[in-house]
Amino acid sequence: MNLTRRRAIQLALTAGALLATEAACGKTNKGTDSGGTKNTTLVVENSFDLTTADPGRVYEVTGGMVAHAMYEPLLTFAGGDVSKPVPLLAKSFEASADGKVLTLKLDETAKFSDGSAVTADDVVFSFNRVKNVKGNPSFLLDGVTVTAPDAQTVVLTSAKANPALPYLLPTPALGIVNSKVAKAQGAVDAEGADKSDKAETWFNANSAGSGPYTLQSFSTTTEVVLVANDKYWGTKPVYTKIVLRNVTNSVQKLDVVKDASQLALDLSPDQAKDLGAAVTVDRASTTTTFFLFTNMNPAISPVTSNPKFQEAVRYGLDYAGIMSLAGEGAVQAPGLVPDKLLGALAAGDSLKRDLDRAKAALAASGYSGQEIPMEYPSDITKNGIDFGVLAQKVQAGLTEVGIKVKLAPAPVATALPNYRDGKEKLGLWLWGADYPDPSDYLAFLPGGLVGLRAGWKAGSSPDLTTIGDQAAIETDSGKRAALYQDLQRKLNEVGPFMPLFQSAQISVMAKSVSNFVYNAVWTVDFGALK
Amino acid sequence: MRSRPYLRFVLVRLGALVLLAVGITLVSFILTNLVPGDPAAANLGQRALSDPAIVAAFRHQHGLDQPLPVQYWKYLTGLVQGDFGTSQRSNRPVGDELAEYVPATLELASTAVVLSVVVGVGLGMLAAMRRNSWLDQLLRVVSLAGVSMPTFWLALAAFFLLFYKWGILPGGGRLDPGLDPPPQVTGLYTVDALLAGQWDIFGNAVFHLIMPALVLAAYTVGLLTRFTRASMLEVLGNDYIRTAQAKGLPGRTIVFRHVLRPALVPILTVAGLAFGSLLSGTVLVEQIFSWNGIGQYAYQSALNLDLPAIMGVSLVVAVIYVTVNFVVDLLYGVVDPRVRLQ
Amino acid sequence: MSTQNVADALSPGLKLRKNRRRVWRPLGVTGLVVLVIWILVAALAPVLAPHDPLGQQFDRFLSPSGAHWFGTDELGRDVLSRVVYGARVTIPLSLLLVVCSLVIGAVVGAAAGYYGGWLEMLVMRTADLVFAFPAIILAMAVVAALGADLTNAVLAIVVVSWPSYARVARGLVLSSRNADYVLATRLLGASGRRSLLVDVTPNVAGPILVLATLDVGNAALLLSGLSFLGLGARPPAAEWGAMVAAGASNFDKWWLGLFPGLAILTLVLAVNFLGDTLRDMLDPRTARAVIQ
Repeated sequence: MNLTRRRAIQLALTAGALLATEAACGKTNKGTDSGGTKNTTLVVENSFDLTTADPGRVYEVTGGMVAHAMYEPLLTFAGGDVSKPVPLLAKSFEASADGKVLTLKLDETAKFSDGSAVTADDVVFSFNRVKNVKGNPSFLLDGVTVTAPDAQTVVLTSAKANPALPYLLPTPALGIVNSKVAKAQGAVDAEGADKSDKAETWFNANSAGSGPYTLQSFSTTTEVVLVANDKYWGTKPVYTKIVLRNVTNSVQKLDVVKDASQLALDLSPDQAKDLGAAVTVDRASTTTTFFLFTNMNPAISPVTSNPKFQEAVRYGLDYAGIMSLAGEGAVQAPGLVPDKLLGALAAGDSLKRDLDRAKAALAASGYSGQEIPMEYPSDITKNGIDFGVLAQKVQAGLTEVGIKVKLAPAPVATALPNYRDGKEKLGLWLWGADYPDPSDYLAFLPGGLVGLRAGWKAGSSPDLTTIGDQAAIETDSGKRAALYQDLQRKLNEVGPFMPLFQSAQISVMAKSVSNFVYNAVWTVDFGALK
Repeated sequence: MRSRPYLRFVLVRLGALVLLAVGITLVSFILTNLVPGDPAAANLGQRALSDPAIVAAFRHQHGLDQPLPVQYWKYLTGLVQGDFGTSQRSNRPVGDELAEYVPATLELASTAVVLSVVVGVGLGMLAAMRRNSWLDQLLRVVSLAGVSMPTFWLALAAFFLLFYKWGILPGGGRLDPGLDPPPQVTGLYTVDALLAGQWDIFGNAVFHLIMPALVLAAYTVGLLTRFTRASMLEVLGNDYIRTAQAKGLPGRTIVFRHVLRPALVPILTVAGLAFGSLLSGTVLVEQIFSWNGIGQYAYQSALNLDLPAIMGVSLVVAVIYVTVNFVVDLLYGVVDPRVRLQ
Repeated sequence: MSTQNVADALSPGLKLRKNRRRVWRPLGVTGLVVLVIWILVAALAPVLAPHDPLGQQFDRFLSPSGAHWFGTDELGRDVLSRVVYGARVTIPLSLLLVVCSLVIGAVVGAAAGYYGGWLEMLVMRTADLVFAFPAIILAMAVVAALGADLTNAVLAIVVVSWPSYARVARGLVLSSRNADYVLATRLLGASGRRSLLVDVTPNVAGPILVLATLDVGNAALLLSGLSFLGLGARPPAAEWGAMVAAGASNFDKWWLGLFPGLAILTLVLAVNFLGDTLRDMLDPRTARAVIQ
């Protein structure tokens, strides 16, 4: 083949000639055959956070896009619109009036990659396995039982009203697995699967889903190769092979500009400036909220738990400076719930810096100039935003108010336990929506998962808890939205959280790539790319 | 009869290797358990981490719920059977992962070592023969610059110029994206490609090796140049050289026949030690060149406090280091007959 | 090459005296001067730096100009000021690292060499073990666990860097222990400890100092390497390795990485020029002990 022969010849050539053939090679990468469909490979670069390709365990960003290409869920989102679930493997769905029962009818034409039909049994198996292997995504189905009255019907029953359930079903971890194949490889869906399930190794080398791609090779650190599923029941994907490579973002930038790759997913806002005309840049706001918190627990810090101190921090933060780091496409977060979701606050509600108010509050708090450590995960870079750089910006803003902040970075492995145990005095973290529904943010209430991390014990604010309880079970979407907005406004007054911004997903692609839409749940749908 | 002392030598070395393995795993084990990190935190998501049932399942799965001595004993008994344990990060056998990453680093490090020995010894000889000339002084500055170069900075500069600005060499990875690796025999892409007769893949793999190997070799070239010069000068001072010279032998003959050979012993030692430093150097270089070797693996494992992986990778690096130096010791006998008798 | 050159090389006189005269001094002098400059820069940083190294007071990513000779960084800080202040981090910590491993290594090694027996056995076997241990992996694990902080990194590296001193110290003590003049003082009734301190130490001190000088460069490289990986200096402190890392993620802003990289290179090069010259001034036999 042309490309490879050129490569071999290259070695014998001089440096100058090398340059010329190198450029030529880059172009031959993408041929177009006579039929007009591209019979070709798409090289995608991403900073991997990959741990598994097992749909019962997958929960990371990279894993999400890989699993989404291979395992289709019952419901999906159209393009980047995560406000409305639409049918995929299920051709219709209906919730009961009390919000406790969701009934879905499967599409009988849906086929797995081995040609067998997708049945309700496969759904039951997949969902029970997610619950029982006790992995990262298990919580998604807490309190949900799944039954199959017939081969084409699935019934999901929740203990309490669960209006968020349809929003949760498109999550990559809830993709449907071919249960016959999986069982033969040692997959178990019964209780105790956390000990008896032996299929993860197999899922890291093979796939058994109904999606447009199947797994060819998988490495958590090098690359993942997907090939088109030739038995796909939907519209055949344009690219026959997807090579997803693990590359740091600075190198991604060079590669995509030189057409060594066609899609780069992790460029920072600064890197995405002045890329030239050879590439297309897509900017979209994500459902990832960066926030700062002050610990509410006086036993951890009498200083940070003081409401006046919190006020000083809230109005002393240099929001404009922080937004200059967050870059184009990012939005200042008016509340914790991201703008794409139901119940988000309007941009006008965002906090503005008020140095006088902050200084007055600080004086009233009795703060006497002691250093307060601010912890953050030093090895996380999300959407090109480096926590270290952000932390320095936050620190500089608070210094102007008169608060002495000492940065205390640590890799996630050591920072996260402190955070989980509610021991951080000041913490800089992010929260990515687990699913695009505001109920995910009830975790920030007193006694909730994140609330406790900020030292906010259950019962500390009965008012907020009452609104939260109502919001969780309200099924009317207008009323839900109002409740969540009310909740966030109150959180912005009395809560320990200072929402900073929603980061921007910057996707840079070659001009030859089209139909790219960023989706907050699975980042990119390879099957839809043209 | 002559093989006897050799046999003893080998056995003693093997015994030392076993002790070393125990020592290294014990040190890693104690250290990583003393420090305050929590592997579950590093390897579970934000939600799962606050769910005691999931954390318990994780701890059970990785045997972390057992007393430390039991954990260590289990690890050792597994190790004897060739089982390096299971990575907490990827849930795969560490042995499989090492088999994937070690060849990548070996390929890179060996290329760099060969490069350093050829260039370093050559330049060192040149410097010794032209002692105190301007060339010697120039080589001295060059070799000291090589030793003083921050590897990560050099890697960035090379990457920026050779790939980004001039496009002479490929940017990162072991092969161009889209090319499939050759069928695995040794794991070294160049060797495997040759075995399979895939000349195009071989060429591509070599092409990708050049820049990282050059960067990695900068330090060792400097080291070997300085060292070769010093040890040649020392030999040149010996009486028998003066005798050879008095006999009227030409300079070239003296250098290659009488000087280089004895000078090679200490040079070999340094080359062996340099191989060890190269393995550490890969941590910085692999990061920049997206080279998926044990350097990156070690970095990821350390950040995630993935204990079996940290122990596995430390062990492999130590064993490679010891083995290389063992081979160097054996080579002494070949190079210098005097050593053979001792 | 001509026979003349070999003859020149062969000319008697690799011995100390001749060697001293033959040493190409300019390199050593250059090294010393650059090193002194760096030390002065570190000491006088507040006077020399045009701006506050932590002040985020300018536009971000300004390229080098008359106002900012080295440009500004990703937070709008003056890179020149940060490079100047970076000397205050790298130089003292590299020295600290070397002094710690030197003291531990030399004491342990000298004792092992002098007293021999089980002590020597224990020390040297431990040294072998530590030698084979990949230092950077250990340092990474320790720093990852204890939190990014250069003092933690220094501690971790000391644990693995003392053995080279121990080896050299032991070797030198062994060779000078049996030297005639030492034996003579022992025969004259000097105590073991006295002869170790008075007769042996001066012989050991020179080579160890040379080794230490050369090691300062390695220490600076290792520490900045850890910072480059994000496991070293704690932000917002100006540290060269961390600054290069910022340059690495913003490739086209070449000034971010170039200047701090040059700072590391010149410092380490100066130290190595100096160490190399000092080594040449030593007797070749002890020089060999140092290089190994």
